[in-house]
Amino acid sequence: MLLQRLCAGFAWVMLVAAVPVLTHHSVPGQFDVSKPVVLTGTIAKVDWINPHIYVHLSVKDARGTVTTWALATLPTAMMRRSKITKAALSGKPGEMVTVNAVPARDGTKNLGWINKITYADGHVVQLAGS
Amino acid sequence: MPTRLLLLTCPAAVAVLMLAGCGSAPPADPVAAAAAPGTRGSEEQLKALAARPTPHLADGRPDFNATWDHLGGIEFVRVRTEVAADGSVCVFGCAPPAGAPGGEGRGARRGGGPPPPMGPGTPTYKPEFLAKVKDLSDRQVQVDTNLQCAAPGVPRIGPPGKIIQNAREVVFLYDDVNGGFFRIIPTDGRPHPTDTEPSYLGDAVGRYEGDVLIVETRNLNEETWLTDNGAFHTADLKVTERFTRVGDTIRYEAVADDPAVLAEPWALRPLTLWVSDQELAEPARCEDRDLPHMVDGSFHSNPR
Repeated sequence: MLLQRLCAGFAWVMLVAAVPVLTHHSVPGQFDVSKPVVLTGTIAKVDWINPHIYVHLSVKDARGTVTTWALATLPTAMMRRSKITKAALSGKPGEMVTVNAVPARDGTKNLGWINKITYADGHVVQLAGS
Repeated sequence: MPTRLLLLTCPAAVAVLMLAGCGSAPPADPVAAAAAPGTRGSEEQLKALAARPTPHLADGRPDFNATWDHLGGIEFVRVRTEVAADGSVCVFGCAPPAGAPGGEGRGARRGGGPPPPMGPGTPTYKPEFLAKVKDLSDRQVQVDTNLQCAAPGVPRIGPPGKIIQNAREVVFLYDDVNGGFFRIIPTDGRPHPTDTEPSYLGDAVGRYEGDVLIVETRNLNEETWLTDNGAFHTADLKVTERFTRVGDTIRYEAVADDPAVLAEPWALRPLTLWVSDQELAEPARCEDRDLPHMVDGSFHSNPR
């Protein structure tokens, strides 16, 4: 929880200043940081690629319809140096997770950038400003 | 990483292992480096590592054989990993560690939108080329091959993540986000080759002056930029890098000189590298899926 408090004070402006070298381009150039969304679902797949890992999150609505979001995040080397494996990021099969994200600016549906993932046991992986 | 896996996954590893076998001194002790006091990359840790004896090979040259860390090299990129008792991890967006050098970063922008074409930490162009620089800068998302998984060029790629050294040459290895890259640098007096095509990382020769390894690179293709923001160069670009071993650290300096377009040689900000306990690994495949979704030309300025 201390960690969450440490991270919580950081705004997007820090991300704007700090991400580019490892993620190539502007997050605000692709994602609308003014419209954060909270998604709850299960992680169907993780594409462990550069320059951005993609987490595919299956979200079920009240009617039972499942929508899969493609959620980009940091590059693999940054994860590796932080000792986060693909398996750890993926969570347990079927595990319900909550993802704080920001959506694409170009109107592409179900595309976003991850701020943080909260897993079923309460632990958090903070990947960007919240 | 098991040797077999290394051989299977990284073609350059074959040459590297051959070179490593020729080395005459053990590599620096990464475990000891990791145990140095202070947060990884903090001034306290770097000071302690620099105070150690500078290792040398049997022939007296400084020993650069090691994996080297610099946290990405850009002062405002300070990945911070803190693991809480419940397993929570903060990878990015964390508060800068106390005592960390330059946590806020010199020259880093604090706002969104396109940065000015040039500024602190960027090369100075002759007046007649400023319009071209601005045009390229405005279209960076569309034209910068570094955003398209190509090799970043020199000096944009930065210092290597691992150095393998023997009596004849030095090999630089990179686990770049764009891919795994290598540079083979003769240090036995061989001249620059005359039969190679211009390339992303050019060709280089090296020499020693005391505890300094000096690497001169040329024959770089014109696709690469010196840094962000339209910093193009010509085929006549020459880059001089200086690696000064100080204890278990390296002071890295680089100067890019392209007299046809630059008003003066461009000296990058020096970096300090330190012996790392984190071995390089084959980077994951680079596949950009984002550029088609960029709605404006905004990108980041990454002062070197």
